[in-house]
Amino acid sequence: MKLIIKTFSIIALLILFGACNDLTQKKVTYKATGAVSEFTLQYQNANHELITVNVTPESAADVWKFDLMAEEGEIVYLSGKYKDIHSGLLLQILIDGKVYKQGSSRYDTIKYLTVSGTIPYN
Amino acid sequence: MKTQGFLLSLICLFTGVQLLAQSGSISGKITDQENGQPISLVTVKNIQTGETTTSGKSGLFRLNAGEKLPLIIEFSHLGFDTLRVSVDKDKLSIPLTINMTEKQTQLSEVEVFSDLTKSQYPVLHVGITPLERTPQQDIGKFLRSEPNVGGIRKGALGIDPVIRGFKYSQLNVQLNGGTKIEGGCPNRMDPATAHVDINDLKNIAIYKGPYALKYGPAFGGVLRLITSEPEFYETYQTKVSMIVGGQTNYEGFKSRIRVSGGNELLAYSFSANWNKYGDYKAGNGDVMQGASNTSMIKGQIGVQPLKGQKFFLSYDKSQGRNVDFPTLPMDERSDDTEIYDFNYLGTGFGTGINFIQANVYKSDVHHIMDNKLRPFSDTVVAISDITATNTGGRIAINFNVGKSVIEAGSSYESITKDGNRFKTMIMQPNMPTFTEELWNNALINNLGLFAEYQATSSKIDWVASVRLDFNQANSDPMVRYAPTGDPVFLDADTKSNYTNFSFSGGMTWHINKFNKFGIALGKGVRSPDMTERYITLLPVGYDNYDYVGNPKLKPEENHEIEFDWGYQHSRWGNLQAGIFFSFVTNYISAVMVPPSEIKPQTKGVLGVKRFINIDKAYLTGFEFVYSTPEKLKWDASLTAAYTTGINPEATHYIIENGQVTGEETIKNDPLPEIPPLEATVSFNYHLMKRRLSPGIKVRVVAEQNQISKAYYETSTPGFTTVEFLLAYTYSKNLKVYGGISNLFNTNYYEHLNRRIVGSSAPYLEPGRMCYLNLIISL
Repeated sequence: MKLIIKTFSIIALLILFGACNDLTQKKVTYKATGAVSEFTLQYQNANHELITVNVTPESAADVWKFDLMAEEGEIVYLSGKYKDIHSGLLLQILIDGKVYKQGSSRYDTIKYLTVSGTIPYN
Repeated sequence: MKTQGFLLSLICLFTGVQLLAQSGSISGKITDQENGQPISLVTVKNIQTGETTTSGKSGLFRLNAGEKLPLIIEFSHLGFDTLRVSVDKDKLSIPLTINMTEKQTQLSEVEVFSDLTKSQYPVLHVGITPLERTPQQDIGKFLRSEPNVGGIRKGALGIDPVIRGFKYSQLNVQLNGGTKIEGGCPNRMDPATAHVDINDLKNIAIYKGPYALKYGPAFGGVLRLITSEPEFYETYQTKVSMIVGGQTNYEGFKSRIRVSGGNELLAYSFSANWNKYGDYKAGNGDVMQGASNTSMIKGQIGVQPLKGQKFFLSYDKSQGRNVDFPTLPMDERSDDTEIYDFNYLGTGFGTGINFIQANVYKSDVHHIMDNKLRPFSDTVVAISDITATNTGGRIAINFNVGKSVIEAGSSYESITKDGNRFKTMIMQPNMPTFTEELWNNALINNLGLFAEYQATSSKIDWVASVRLDFNQANSDPMVRYAPTGDPVFLDADTKSNYTNFSFSGGMTWHINKFNKFGIALGKGVRSPDMTERYITLLPVGYDNYDYVGNPKLKPEENHEIEFDWGYQHSRWGNLQAGIFFSFVTNYISAVMVPPSEIKPQTKGVLGVKRFINIDKAYLTGFEFVYSTPEKLKWDASLTAAYTTGINPEATHYIIENGQVTGEETIKNDPLPEIPPLEATVSFNYHLMKRRLSPGIKVRVVAEQNQISKAYYETSTPGFTTVEFLLAYTYSKNLKVYGGISNLFNTNYYEHLNRRIVGSSAPYLEPGRMCYLNLIISL
């Protein structure tokens, strides 16, 4: 009996040896909508690079979307600007499908609209 | 003598051993002079003939006398002073009564890591049982229950010990044979104790005062953390031990598995620990952040190629993840610590050398912190990434000089620290990032030489120690740049060299069988630590200022004296009482630097303070411990302790509307962060032949009104907590410890708990908590 318990303990020890890291990945979605003309977006991708894209929507209902996987605590960043004074922008960051940060602007061609934060820890 | 001979003969008659010397032989009994107990396994040698024998279990021996007279008989034993006796012809027929004196250098049961010599200085040993019983997951938190030991609490773990009012690098914290660990965080969220799992410990030795100089520079005290070591067995054996503990409120668990074994030649042990805790509710129902997740793996191998020659190699890797520090601007995101350790213990060199001990180590801490759980991370995400290493070793030789014992040797440590803080402006276009250097490749080397002398007479034990330290430090230029790239602070003169001489002495007077009286005095010198020399504009103090280091600080000197009285009686119990007085010169404090000279760099601080030496400070206090005799069906104990510290002339900066508007000198300002008067009463009742022991512990802590005005300290209300304890030994394989701490759900906080960052709210201690620990040994 003692031998069984000792063997079990050694197995449990090995399991504990291997159970040190428990990183948790989240699905992050960047969304941009509400613009009636071309706008510029800047976002941070999974490699922590800042990517700049120009988007030309056909209508205000068009949605630009980008997905990535990221760990808890990582920075998520989405920033945009438009040049048309009649346009506007709604930016959202979703984590696992739920809105984490959002911001909007209308008729403001001077300021960057930025939504940003870090993925919350459970 | 005649009476003793008669009694001895009578005893021999009853035991059936014929002791009376016959023609051609000599016999007798060997006893311990101190307690009269028989000593077995004493080597008895007839010097003339060379013939030897050993004493039996009752201390009895018989040896051929030979023809040459007078006989010279030598009695030797590992634990006792060697004795030679001359026996004349007319005494041959009388059984000898030999009283041997215990050697000062008594090898303890636990070799290698534990104290190898009996300490003549005041020392408090915490054994394995209280460590197994405790629900605490942190060494610093556990130590707060010892008299005159407090802990500065900033978060879930890493409670920084305070002994008799001394803290931080005023204390020498080390592991086993002298291994030291340098924490990475400038705010000391990871002091040395934070890198050791409490479940791994089997003993803690607390040397209060600047006396135990052989363990390194000892300024305010030495804290030795002793872990289990692999054991050698005559025949191959495997042992398994486990600890599993859980609790309510501060919900979480602790677990440990250790597999060890070996034979005469080899010994090994492998262990793994995993502890995980969540937030907790205080007595008033408030939820306090206190989550932590730590794990550790450790492997040790021992070799004993010759009897008495032991070599140990060990590797220890510990991890901390997401540890909350709600009183600091950052939390611990990850901590990865590796410790490489080599130990050697050599014994059996003959009568001259008692042992040789050597230790070589390297500890490597990689510490990452961030502010992601703080409100200000909405605009600036700050991440600090620091590596700290401590490499060193110690060698000591313990030998006899006449009836005295000397231990001499050398120790060395080299501390390096480097790291950066990365600030990302997440609400700005292009998300700009700034990098600030935190430690600028700082380096401190310390080489020490030490010697300790111990002598014992029938009434008085003497001890004296000396230590010489050569301390050298440097760093890259201390610099801080503004976001524009312009330097706001620069100090390129970072080199410093010190030679520090420390000494201590003490005596214990054994007044009679029950009473002893001790005096210890010493001067302990410590060089400034890395923070005091090289911190560059970070808010690392108790007060709300950015701090800047001073490479030209002088070493701090503690002159301490204490008097102890001990009373030990099998009927009335044990009592230990002592008072101490400490006079510190070149006390390291800080003064404000005008904003015209250095501008603060942390948002919301009141200004910049620079570390300086002040002339002097005083600390004084007492400790009192009483425990009832163990033979009773119940036991009780009472401890009480108090320390107060005074800065004779402190500077207080007057603040109005968040600005420093002036200063005033305060006479006799209390030193900050000193725990108040407290007393603990414990009572345990033993049932089922001591297998079941319910108990109760009441801790009464007085209000702390001795507060530093210069550091804007606030008073702390007193409190009383009650803990219900239960210990059950089911078998030699299973022990169960449980209890309910803070039984009446008292809402309280310790004086040394820091305030929640960005507020004046105290970091409250847990409310009522039920816990259960299972200790399994196979």
